[in-house]
Amino acid sequence: MERKILRFRRSTIFFIFVSMSFIIITVLYIQSRISISRHHILEKDLVEIVENLSLTDMVLSTDARYTRHPTQADLFSAFQDYPGSIEHFPTGSVIPPPDFSYTGMVMRIE
Amino acid sequence: MAFEKHRNILDYTLQTLLRRKFKNAGIILVFTFVIFIVGSIVFLSYSLKREARLLFKNSPDIIVQKMRAGRHELIPVTLGNDIMGIAGVSNAGPRYWGYYYDSGAKANYTILGISTFGLENNRMLTGRLPSAHERGVAAIGRGIADVRIIKKDIGSTLYLQDADGKWMDFNIVGIFESDSEILTDDLIVMSEDDFKYLVKMPSGTATDLAVNVYNETEIPTIAGKIKERFPDSRPILRDEIIRTYDAVFSWRSGLIVTLFIGALTAFIILAWDKATGLSAEEKQEIGILKAVGWETSDILEMKFWEGVVVSLTSFLCGIIIAYVHIFFMGAFLFAPALKGWSVIYPDFRLTPFIDFYQIAILLSVTVIPYIASTIIPSWKAAITDPDIVMRG
Amino acid sequence: MEGSDNRSGYSYEGIKAVNSEQWTVNSKTIIKTENTTKIFNKGKPDEVIAVNGLSIEISKGDFVVFKGPSGSGKTTLLSLIGCMSRPTSGRVIVGNRDVSRLPERFMTEVRRGTFGFIFQQFHLIKGITVCDNVMLPLYPTDVKPLRLRKMAEEILNSLNMKERKDFYVRKLSGGEQQRTAIARALINNPEIILADEPTAHLDTHLSDEFLAIMRKLNKQGKTIVIATHDPLVYEKDYVTLCIEMRDGRVRKMN
Repeated sequence: MERKILRFRRSTIFFIFVSMSFIIITVLYIQSRISISRHHILEKDLVEIVENLSLTDMVLSTDARYTRHPTQADLFSAFQDYPGSIEHFPTGSVIPPPDFSYTGMVMRIE
Repeated sequence: MAFEKHRNILDYTLQTLLRRKFKNAGIILVFTFVIFIVGSIVFLSYSLKREARLLFKNSPDIIVQKMRAGRHELIPVTLGNDIMGIAGVSNAGPRYWGYYYDSGAKANYTILGISTFGLENNRMLTGRLPSAHERGVAAIGRGIADVRIIKKDIGSTLYLQDADGKWMDFNIVGIFESDSEILTDDLIVMSEDDFKYLVKMPSGTATDLAVNVYNETEIPTIAGKIKERFPDSRPILRDEIIRTYDAVFSWRSGLIVTLFIGALTAFIILAWDKATGLSAEEKQEIGILKAVGWETSDILEMKFWEGVVVSLTSFLCGIIIAYVHIFFMGAFLFAPALKGWSVIYPDFRLTPFIDFYQIAILLSVTVIPYIASTIIPSWKAAITDPDIVMRG
Repeated sequence: MEGSDNRSGYSYEGIKAVNSEQWTVNSKTIIKTENTTKIFNKGKPDEVIAVNGLSIEISKGDFVVFKGPSGSGKTTLLSLIGCMSRPTSGRVIVGNRDVSRLPERFMTEVRRGTFGFIFQQFHLIKGITVCDNVMLPLYPTDVKPLRLRKMAEEILNSLNMKERKDFYVRKLSGGEQQRTAIARALINNPEIILADEPTAHLDTHLSDEFLAIMRKLNKQGKTIVIATHDPLVYEKDYVTLCIEMRDGRVRKMN
């Protein structure tokens, strides 16, 4: 009898769970804002490196030319690195080479 | 207070869910996993895309490559002068870069020959860059330092094998710090002269040309003109670079559909199972509830709560785990897949850019259909007359 | 009054009906059926006429038994009276109200406010406790759960089920399940208790026990309606009205 009365209602527990989740999400959001603002401080230096070294790609994977520099790769040669090379799954299929259909097309950044 | 009634129904719903503990825990688990995977991909691809947009805003407007028989070839430096002749071009300079395969470490490095000065007071660079004609010095990325250099510090020596197989010594004068690893992890930066000597590059040639343009809106026009005047060239626009990273969005279709098709199928089967009908037990329960005095709307509300509890719980858990996975744990589940057999590989400490629009879409394509698939099949059972329980 | 959308006259099968308030019902009459018919799967080859033009009248405080073989329509009649289904034609009047054409919401309201049901299979929900089962009818109301629990416990106490209130239903004996079902039927303090073959799964001793409870409730002023073919029930001398049915019609009334 006592036990029953003292026990939380199930709906209360559910509401507590949902509220807790939202609190965690809020904390994560604040964390992301802090990281982003920290990143913006570093950004100037990073952009300077890109400009100075004329870089074009991120170091996401260094397997092969078309995964290290996806933007600089050929469109057509899947086995471009050496004839026996297998396709670099999954990086190769995840990051495709760029679309070179620029001619006659107007393209904008952002 | 009308509120109490809804809370009572929610109480009963939770009790019902607990009653079928294993089944519902299973649904929540699979659902959470699906949200986690999709959420991870949304977080990862969006933060990569944003990062690319931020970082490459000052990369060369156009890269001009020379093609021969459809293959990328060294480009004559003099082509730069001709390109300079095109109206609107502010600068066209050669780039010297390539790859170096280190058979000892089984790693691919990106080697870069530079003739520029700069990066003084850059917090990402400890030490300095080699100057234009300085011989025997290099600046390297932290990743290479970790793989190759024992001391991992400035002053160590890096040995590279030239095109004739002879060893060249490079004194390390600069190291790019790990905050810039997404750009510099596998870089070996040396002077232009050293680069040409190392790879035995014919004089008067470069890897490609970096072209800058005065007016950004003219980039496609100028690229068109270059292609027209030098048909064997291939201009690559900065837009395309950024769009390539936008295309990392094929993560969603690519990775999810291939690697996680199992989880997705399981989820669809579960949803299908729910959508195509209630079990006899559930039908009977609805009949009992109606018979003891629940209205159709009460039953639908119960089913609504059921959908909300399951899908919201899964969604919240999944999205929180996804965030932790991508931004705190360096996408450790995807990393092996992304990594392939590369040796040098950044830690993936990504900046947590969040796309709320996509999260909202994720919410609406998972939670809402799930709630609907819980309510709709019970609709028919809920509107039939309760005497069905008496007739058995 | 609610259900005012039913006031305008309507007609079906040639009978012109008038609004329910014009019906002058004997103040003692609590349930009345007028030429009530219920047809299942109407127009289809498997059409079944479960109740065929039945007119009965039940007074407040009656102890009524519908008796007849299975398939005679007594269960259907019970569900018609209990606002669980609507007649195909004819009307059902509960209290002063024609419920046969009420919208679902109001039917539920009448059902919840007036009737307590006891089913042949008990129809308890298995995975929850006795007490939760008893509370079930009043969940979608604004009664606070603590109060609701107290109400349920009181009723269970009065049925000697105090010790069993936190048991799961599947652990109960048949008689205890029956008493749980009775408690659930009583939680909304109904005027009329409807029971469908309540003794079908009980032995003689438990059946007597059940009837004793019903008798007690009847004495407290509740109207009892039981559909059964068990002679143990309809031969009891306190049965005030026994309606014998066959093929959806009344065969004998006494």
